[in-house]
Amino acid sequence: MSIKILDAKGLKCPMPIIKAKKEIDAMSPGDLLEIHATDPGSVADFQGWSKMSKTAVLKDQRTEGGSDGKPVYIHVLERR
Amino acid sequence: MNAEHATTVERLLEKADAGEPFLLLDVRNDDEYEAWKVEGRRQIEMLHIPYFDFVEDPGLVAQVLSDRREVLVLCAKGGSSGFVAELLRAAGITAKNVEGGMIAYGDYLQPVCVPLDADEADRFEIWQLNRRGKGCLSYVIRCGTAAIVVDPSRNVRAYARLVERLGARLVGVFDTHVHADHLSGGPELARLSGASYCMAAGTGGELKHAVTPVREGEEIRLGDAPGRSLAVRVVETPGHTPGSTSFLVGRRHLLTGDTIFVSGIGRPDLGGYVAEWGRVLYHTLHERLGALPDDVVILPAHYADVSEIRDDGVVAGRLGEIRRTVLELQIRSAEEFVEAMKSALSAPPEIYSRIIATNLGTSQVEAEEAAEWELGKNQCAASGH
Repeated sequence: MSIKILDAKGLKCPMPIIKAKKEIDAMSPGDLLEIHATDPGSVADFQGWSKMSKTAVLKDQRTEGGSDGKPVYIHVLERR
Repeated sequence: MNAEHATTVERLLEKADAGEPFLLLDVRNDDEYEAWKVEGRRQIEMLHIPYFDFVEDPGLVAQVLSDRREVLVLCAKGGSSGFVAELLRAAGITAKNVEGGMIAYGDYLQPVCVPLDADEADRFEIWQLNRRGKGCLSYVIRCGTAAIVVDPSRNVRAYARLVERLGARLVGVFDTHVHADHLSGGPELARLSGASYCMAAGTGGELKHAVTPVREGEEIRLGDAPGRSLAVRVVETPGHTPGSTSFLVGRRHLLTGDTIFVSGIGRPDLGGYVAEWGRVLYHTLHERLGALPDDVVILPAHYADVSEIRDDGVVAGRLGEIRRTVLELQIRSAEEFVEAMKSALSAPPEIYSRIIATNLGTSQVEAEEAAEWELGKNQCAASGH
C-alpha cells in the first residue's frame, strides 16, 4: 500500500477530478491518493464523483490553512 | 476560444425567450443544480449530468441525445462545461460552452426600454435592466444629455456603457434602500463616473458611505432645454427598510424599490423588527401609495418569477391592478397585517446580514467572494410565490 500526494492547488474544475481519476486508475487496490486543492467547489464535487466512481472511494475530507493563509481542501481517496 | 465552440449567457437567454430549439446540459453537482437553475421566459429543455460523471465515464455522451439540435453546456464558472462540450463535439454533437457559467448568468443585465405614452416619450426614456439570474431590476433614466441610475447591481460597467450609448452623462446614482439580497454597485458607479451617490436622509446612522441625502418632495431635474426637462420626485415609502424611498419619474412611473412589486410586497422583517417595520409598511402601502392614482405604473426592484416579465420584456404593473390582486393589500388593519407577515415569512438567507453590512459600508468584500454571496435568486418579497 502506498500514499501519493497530488498537488491540485490553483487548479479550477474540472482539472482536480480529471487528474485524480488519472492517478487513481493507475494505482493498486488499497492505495491512497491525497489531493490538495484550493477550489472550494472541489469539496462537493469529490463527494459526488466518488459516489459513482468505479475506482475511487472517498475516505476523508478536511480543510487546512495554506502557506498564504487561504484554505486548502484535502480529499483522501482509496483505490477500490 | 473558438466562437463556434462558445456562447454567452445573453445569447442563451435570447434563444430561450424566443423558444428556439436547443438542449441545455447543466453539468454542476446536484446541490448546486437543485438550488439555482437558468430560467427562460419559455420552458427550457434541460438535462442535468454532473461533469464528474463524464470524467468517470466519457461514454455517457451517448445519453445526450442529439436530433441535430444544438447542445449548450453550463456549469458554475465555465470550466467544466468547456470540458464536457469538447467531449460532446468529439462525438459529433453540436455543442457550445456557455462562457462564465452561472456566475455570468448571475451578473448579466438585460436592458429593456420601458414604453412611455406619447407626451412623455419625446422627453425622456426609462431603461429597465433586468438581472435575470437574480430577479433584480435596476434603472437608467435619461432626459437630454443627463442620466441617473437607480438601484445598480455590482456589474457597474454595464450601466456606464448604456449611459454612454444613450449619449448622456451620469449625474446621479440612487439606491432606493439598503439592499439585503445583493451588493449595491452604487458607491462604485458613483466613484467611476464622478456622479453623486444619493440615498434617503432616513437611511440610518450606520451608513458609512458618503451619500447625498434626498428627502420627501425633493425634485431631481434632468435636462435643461425649455419644455424638455424631467422632474424625478422623491417619495418616502418606509417599511421594507426605514429609509426605503420611491422615485416618481415624470407623472406616472414610480420606481418603488422593494416596497411594492408587481405581484407582491416587500418583506418588512429583514432588519429583525417585523412588528415595527411591518406597521410602517402597512401605513406606506395604504396611506402613502393610497394617495396615488390607479394608472401609476409601478417599476419595482425585483420580481419573484419569470412569468412577471411581460411580452414586451418589461416587468411593470398598474398600481390599480396591483391593489386589486395582491393578497397582502387586501388586509385592512395594521395588526392583522403584522400578524400575516410574521406567520408567512421564513428566515432570510444567512448571507443577507453580511450583504447589508457591505452595502452600509461597514465591511468590505473581495470580488470573488461577492460572487459567492450573490448566488441564487432574491428572497425579498413577502408574498405571491
